[in-house]
Amino acid sequence: MRRVVHKLFFIWQLEKEQAWVNEMASHGYSLEHAGRLTFEFDETEPGKYIYKEIFLKGWGEGAENIKYFKFLEEMGIKVVCYINYPGTCWVYLRALKEDYPDGIELYSDIDSKITYQKVMAWYMLLVIVLTLAAGSLNLWISLYSRNYVFPLNFICAVFLLSLCAGAVVAEINNLVKLSRLKKERKLHE
Amino acid sequence: MPQLALTEAVFYILLSLQKPLHGYGIIQNVGELSHGRVKLAAGTLYGALNSLVEKGWIDALPENPESRKKEYVITASGLSVLKEELARLSELVDNGKRLLGGN
Repeated sequence: MRRVVHKLFFIWQLEKEQAWVNEMASHGYSLEHAGRLTFEFDETEPGKYIYKEIFLKGWGEGAENIKYFKFLEEMGIKVVCYINYPGTCWVYLRALKEDYPDGIELYSDIDSKITYQKVMAWYMLLVIVLTLAAGSLNLWISLYSRNYVFPLNFICAVFLLSLCAGAVVAEINNLVKLSRLKKERKLHE
Repeated sequence: MPQLALTEAVFYILLSLQKPLHGYGIIQNVGELSHGRVKLAAGTLYGALNSLVEKGWIDALPENPESRKKEYVITASGLSVLKEELARLSELVDNGKRLLGGN
């Protein structure tokens, strides 16, 4: 039976969302489809699947990504669904836990981990720039319009600037990880 | 110009592709060769295979219609790169053994 859950995760909560999806799978609910706010689960054997969420450059239906998805399927990693964002997509992968008992790890050397972290860092920078620009514009409009009855622009500004602050925290995390990997790369591959 | 060192993943992929293998076969073969020490992950393997095809060190064979899995095999230039790398690694091992007295 299908169970639909509405839940909000922000773009910098990738790991938290993945942990939640895996926890659902361990309780016998396998993710079958995800939207921006909805998650659809089917009842299944508890612990049958393991999930992984990743960022990829380009949209899910792009030729390069389709080739990559096909390759992953050959490895027993299925693409459950993906959500497109400007210039990128957020992909939900799953595999049988018996095939990947330690979880799905897509990168086994430092170079490919660095490449992935760079994609994340660039995307997060885009989120920061866009939310900062849109948030500041709304703040500016709300200050000059002096609409105290229905301060829609002010509410938008607060929302966008909080998103921006969250993205900045996530970006700092990304850059710390990236610099740690680069330091390690000087000694090891 | 002397050849730059290959990564461990690339070395083992080239070594595995002396006979045609598909992606999962390469992962298994590398695991066996290294007694389980090197576990190639799917994303890393995919990136390496694409770069190796681009370099002309391996060829992608036409897809097998039954298994629908793409197989790869080493080319002549890939084999010569692999041999050069083996010579470089032998130098490292020989010097290491000589200076550490085999301990």
